Amino acid sequence: MTDTAIPQSRTASGFPFREWLGRRKVVSTISVLVFFVIWEVAPWIGLVDPALTSRPSLVYVAAVDVVANDNLGRHIYVSLLEFSWGFFLAVLTGVPFGFLLGVSRRVRYFIDPPLMALYATPRLTLLPIITLWLGIGMESKVVVVYIGTFIPVVINSVAGIRGVDKSLTRLAHSFCATRNDIFFKILLPGSLPAVMLGLRLGLGRGLLGVIVAEMFVAQEGIGYQIVAYGSSFRVDYLLVYTLLVSFFGYACTILIRRIEERLDSWRTSSQWTGGV
Amino acid sequence: MNRLMDHLIYQRMKPVIFGVVSFAVIFGVWETVVATGLMDAFFASKPTAIAVGLAEQAASGELFRNFQVSLMEFAIGFGLAIVSGILLGVLAGWYRTVEYILDPFVWFLYSAPLIAFYPMFVVWVGLGKPTVILITYLLSVTPILVNTLSGIKNVSPDLVRAAVSFGARRSDLFLKIALPASVPMVMAGLKLGVGRALTGVIIAELFGSNAGLGHSIAYYAGILKTNEMMTSLVVVVCIGVVFTQTLVYLESKFDSWRV
Repeated sequence: MTDTAIPQSRTASGFPFREWLGRRKVVSTISVLVFFVIWEVAPWIGLVDPALTSRPSLVYVAAVDVVANDNLGRHIYVSLLEFSWGFFLAVLTGVPFGFLLGVSRRVRYFIDPPLMALYATPRLTLLPIITLWLGIGMESKVVVVYIGTFIPVVINSVAGIRGVDKSLTRLAHSFCATRNDIFFKILLPGSLPAVMLGLRLGLGRGLLGVIVAEMFVAQEGIGYQIVAYGSSFRVDYLLVYTLLVSFFGYACTILIRRIEERLDSWRTSSQWTGGV
Repeated sequence: MNRLMDHLIYQRMKPVIFGVVSFAVIFGVWETVVATGLMDAFFASKPTAIAVGLAEQAASGELFRNFQVSLMEFAIGFGLAIVSGILLGVLAGWYRTVEYILDPFVWFLYSAPLIAFYPMFVVWVGLGKPTVILITYLLSVTPILVNTLSGIKNVSPDLVRAAVSFGARRSDLFLKIALPASVPMVMAGLKLGVGRALTGVIIAELFGSNAGLGHSIAYYAGILKTNEMMTSLVVVVCIGVVFTQTLVYLESKFDSWRV
């Protein structure tokens, strides 16, 4: 499996969340402010065409307008519903499937090659064919989210089960633990951190999936709005919707991270610590 | 002795054998289901038809043309991402102020659905290759940057202490410890980046392009030619597998550098 990079990137992608105080806060804020000022001023003094880049102040005005009268609630509802169904189904099937692959070597040998192929392929490539099969309604988006989320969830669940310290299972075995005991008391809790990591990665993929799928073809939803404003070249409105998606993804990631941290503190230190 | 060798070979080849069997079963079932009329070939095509389509597209040169375009976009976008990602990552890992300055932008690039910007990119840099390259670059630069940064930052303090007590200067620390020690993390970043770059090329072509494999998928899907679409899809899958496996191999080679 090629997922060794994922546990490592766990610390890597963690940097915006740690040490969020002191000098970091000041420097980052200044950096963003400078960027906003340049962005606001550059079109003003004629460096760039404001139609191409918009301006922070215009984006703010657009944001107010979107909230007030763009039927925002409906679009959020549609996208969120598609995303939730896909994500929910992927977790519901992906985690047990990953555990099965992790426990049984024979099943793994069989499933690994096609799973690998799917893992290595950009899953969003399947967008046209999924649309062809399921039409332009909600179903196709749910399936796109499902496929996007399913793969990281499965792969990390497998890694979680296989990463559990073998001496623990041996120990339990020599104290006459049943297979059930070993699974529920050792493998399941031991693999939880990896599973959570899979959920976090899957969340990002799923979110991108629902937006891109809606952009490809849809009748409503955030992605549909993005394409509508994009092709009519309202950069300010386009940015409002993209920022909305970014913040939502960020908030969800932080939420899952909090749960991960809670699980982490509860885990004993002798267990899996990140490397596969 | 001979039987022992046979057994050892069997053990080593087992994953390969199972893999071949696995794909054979999938293709077999797919072919039969379509051939017996359980599923319409219009919706799913079938393996033999795809093989024929592949041969036809290869003969007409269409396959090669699309492949060439996509590969070039990938090479330029990902190449730029490698160079600037490692450079910025090293800078940000070594100078904390640079890290803090870049931090919010990296975060935004990571969490924003970048494909959404393609209409803007088209106007900024032009339809087709430039847009695809830009999206590929932006998608793949973040994991490389972030991994390089944490590779430099998380060098074992023991090593640094040891070097310092033997009189190492700051430049020694950087060149002889931080850089080599970060290589495995950089490789991990490249591996994540390859996947994102490939996604970037194909998705960007799906939306805003006039050539390449992604464009051909969208084009054939648009005129409901499932078979031709599947042909391009198969090529994309193969490229993905080859790229990922190459990176896995490279990573295992560089893994011995891990300190």
